Amino acid sequence: MKTPRSEGIEGAAGGPLGDRPDARPPAGALPSPPHRSGPPTWPVTLGLVVTIAGAVGFAVSFILGAGNGWIGGFLAAALLGLGVALAWWGRDLAGDEVITAPYPVPHEDPEGRDALASALEQDTGVLTRRRFLFRLLIVGGAVFAFSQVVLLGALGPRPRSSLRTTAWTPGARLVDSEGVPVTRDALAAGGTLVAFPEGHVGSADAQVALFHFVNGDFKPQPGRESWSPEDFVAYSRVCTHVGCVVAQYEDEAQRLVCPCHQSSFDLLDGARVVFGPAGRPLPQLPLAIDEQGCLVAQSDFTEPVGPGFWDEGLS
Amino acid sequence: MSRRRLLNSLGSAFGVRRSPLRPVARWTDRNLGGGSRLVKEELRHVFPDSWAFFLGEIALYCFVILVVTGIFLSLFFEASQTPTVYEGAYQPLQGSEVSAAYNSVLGLSFNVKAGLLIRQVHHWAALVFVAALIIHLLRMFFTGAYRKPRVINWLLGIVLLITVGMNGLFGYSLPDDLLSGVGLRVAYSITESIPFLGPWLASIMFGGEFPTSGIIARIYPAHILLLPLGIMGLLGLHMGILWFQRHTEFPGPARDDRTMVGTPMVPAYALRTVGYLLLVAGVLTAFGAFLQINPVWLYGPYTPFDATTQAQPDWYMGWMEGGLRLMPGWDIRIGWFLLPAVFWPAVILPGLVFTPLLVWPFVDQWALNDRGFHNVLTYPSQRPGRLAVGAGFVTFLTVLLLGGADDVFANIWNLDVVTVVHALRAMVFVAPPLVAAVTYAIARKRSERWPV
Repeated sequence: MKTPRSEGIEGAAGGPLGDRPDARPPAGALPSPPHRSGPPTWPVTLGLVVTIAGAVGFAVSFILGAGNGWIGGFLAAALLGLGVALAWWGRDLAGDEVITAPYPVPHEDPEGRDALASALEQDTGVLTRRRFLFRLLIVGGAVFAFSQVVLLGALGPRPRSSLRTTAWTPGARLVDSEGVPVTRDALAAGGTLVAFPEGHVGSADAQVALFHFVNGDFKPQPGRESWSPEDFVAYSRVCTHVGCVVAQYEDEAQRLVCPCHQSSFDLLDGARVVFGPAGRPLPQLPLAIDEQGCLVAQSDFTEPVGPGFWDEGLS
Repeated sequence: MSRRRLLNSLGSAFGVRRSPLRPVARWTDRNLGGGSRLVKEELRHVFPDSWAFFLGEIALYCFVILVVTGIFLSLFFEASQTPTVYEGAYQPLQGSEVSAAYNSVLGLSFNVKAGLLIRQVHHWAALVFVAALIIHLLRMFFTGAYRKPRVINWLLGIVLLITVGMNGLFGYSLPDDLLSGVGLRVAYSITESIPFLGPWLASIMFGGEFPTSGIIARIYPAHILLLPLGIMGLLGLHMGILWFQRHTEFPGPARDDRTMVGTPMVPAYALRTVGYLLLVAGVLTAFGAFLQINPVWLYGPYTPFDATTQAQPDWYMGWMEGGLRLMPGWDIRIGWFLLPAVFWPAVILPGLVFTPLLVWPFVDQWALNDRGFHNVLTYPSQRPGRLAVGAGFVTFLTVLLLGGADDVFANIWNLDVVTVVHALRAMVFVAPPLVAAVTYAIARKRSERWPV
C-alpha cells in the first residue's frame, strides 16, 4: 500500500512527468540534477514510439493482405504501446495529488431516515386514500401481467407424442447413411454400422447403432428374444443421459461409450449402463429380417429414446 | 497542478495561445444550464489507489471490446440454418453441405480481411470477461466489500455474472459447428429434465423437439441485443451506484469509514484507466493474433448423428459440465413419475452455487450482528471464517471444473476415466471442508500473531 503523500509539501509531489511548467529550468541553463527520484519517463516515450510503429505496421499489413499474425501483432503492439504510455504516465501522477473526501453516509437521525418514506406517503396519499380503487388497480395490473404468459404458447408446440415416437414403423427397412438398405450380408459378424429408417437418413431420434454379434455372444433380455434375428441387434444412438450421440465403440469390451460424459453401455447385456452418469439402458429396436434378406423394424421403439423427462413412464 | 494551468497547458503544448477547451466549456455551460459546475466537481472525484480496484475494470473493458468486435462480426454472420454448399477458401470442407450460419462463420474467418482476428479477439474477450468478473467477485468477497452500503451492488454483480455466462453460452452456440450443436442438445435435455414443465419449456425455447431449424435465429437476437442490453443496464447501474458511493479503501492513515483518501479523477486516474483499457485491448488482440480459439472448421458442421471426443464447453461452463459427468445416474422413479438424475447437477447445482452468493451479505450481517456501514476494507486473513468459507467454495467449484475435463486428464495421465471420476467424486466431498479447515487454521494463527 502506498501511503498518501500530504498535500502542499514542496518537492515531495510530482515526478518528472508531473513537473509544473514553472518548475522548468530557464532556457540555456545547465540541466539541474534530479531533485527527486521519480519513475523514469522512457517507458512513456518507448510506448508512444511503439504505438506509432504498430499503427503504421497494422495499416500496411492490412492493406497488403498479410496474415492474422501480422495484422493482429501490429495492432496489439500499437494498443499495448499506447496503454503502457498512458498507464505509466497516470501512475506517476497518482502520487502527485492526494486528497481526502467524505464518503456519502446514511442518515443517522430518525427524521432523515424516514424523510423519503414520508415524502412518498404524502405524495401518493391521494391514490391510497381511494382504497377500493387502489386495490382494484393492483389486482387489475397483476391479472393483466399474468395474462401475458399465454404468449409463450406461441413459441413452441405442446409436446404430445413427439418425445415418445420416432420415424420407425412396423416393417420399415434399415438403411445406412447413404440410404442403401442393410441386408443380412451387408454386415459381417463382429461388424457395426449406423442405420436409419428408410426415407429418414440423418434423423436425430431414430438413428440406431446396428451390431452383428459373433454367434453366441449376445444374450437377449427376457421378453426380447425375438428382437435380435441372427444376432443382429440395434440400439438407439441417443444417449439417455443428455442426448449426445453414443458414438464411441469399444470392440474389446463390447461397449458403446458416449464421448460427451463417458456413459458406457454393455452391448451384450441389453445396453445396460456399466459406468457414467446415464440412468437407463439405450432403448433397443425390435428387428426382423424380411424375405429379401433386408433388416426391418418390427415396430417403433417400445420406450422413449434419449434423456428422461417427468412423465416418460406414461405411455 | 491547478486546473486552469492544465487547460492552458493542453493548448500551449501544441503552440496554441488560448486553450480550445475554454470556448467548449462555455458552450457546454450555456447549453446544460450551468451543468459545467457539476462536471467540474466530478473532475475531482476521488479514486483510492490500489491494484485491486482495477480488476472490475478489466471486466468492463472486456465488455467494451466484445461490443466493438461483435458489431464487426454481426456484419458478416447469417443467423440461419438453411442448408447451403460451402464453396469458400477452406479446402477440406469444400462442397460439403453446411448451414448458412456455419457457412458465414467460415466465410468471415477465411474470406474477410482480419475477420478471423476479430472473431478470435471476440471469443478471447468473452473468456477473459467471465474470468475478470469472477476474480473481481472474489476480491469483493475476501476483503468484505459486499458489506453495507454495497449490498445492492454485490447482488447486481452476481446477476451480471449469470447474464454474462448465459450470453457466452449463446455465443458459443451460434456458429452451428459440431460442438455448439452438442451444447444446444445438452441444454435442451437439461430443460427437459425439469419436473412437470420440462418438455414443454424445452419446446417453447427451441420451437419444437430437438433439433429444430430455427434455434440459431432465436439465439441470435438474444445474443446481440437482449442480453447485451441487460448487461449494459446492469453495468450502468453497478457503475452508477459505485460512482455515487465511491470506491472502498484499504486501511491506512487518515482513512476511515467516513473519509476517503485518493487521487482526483483528472488527470492521473483518467490517464491510467484509459491506459488500462488499451492494455486489455492489446492483450486480447495479441491472444486473437497468436492463440487459436474455437477453430470451428476443425470441428465440422453440426449434424445430429456426429460426435466428437474430448469436447469441452467454454471454461466458465466447466463446473456444470463437471457436475454432469460426476453425478451418478440415479434416476428416481415413483410409479410412472421420473426425476432424471441430470436434474440435480444441471438445475439444482447452479442454484446451490448462486443462492449462497446472493444471500451471503445478509448471512454475514446476521452472523456478526453487524448493522453498521463499511467503507474501509478488511484483509482476507483478518476474517478467518470468511476466508475458510470462500476457500472451500472455490475448491468445490474447482473440483467440478476439473471434472469437466475428466477424459482429458485420463488421457494425459494414462489412467482409466473410471478411476479419475471416482477420485473426483470423492474430492467433491472431501476437498472443500479440508481446504476450509486448513485455511481457517492458518488464518487464525496469522491474525493472532498480527492482530489488526
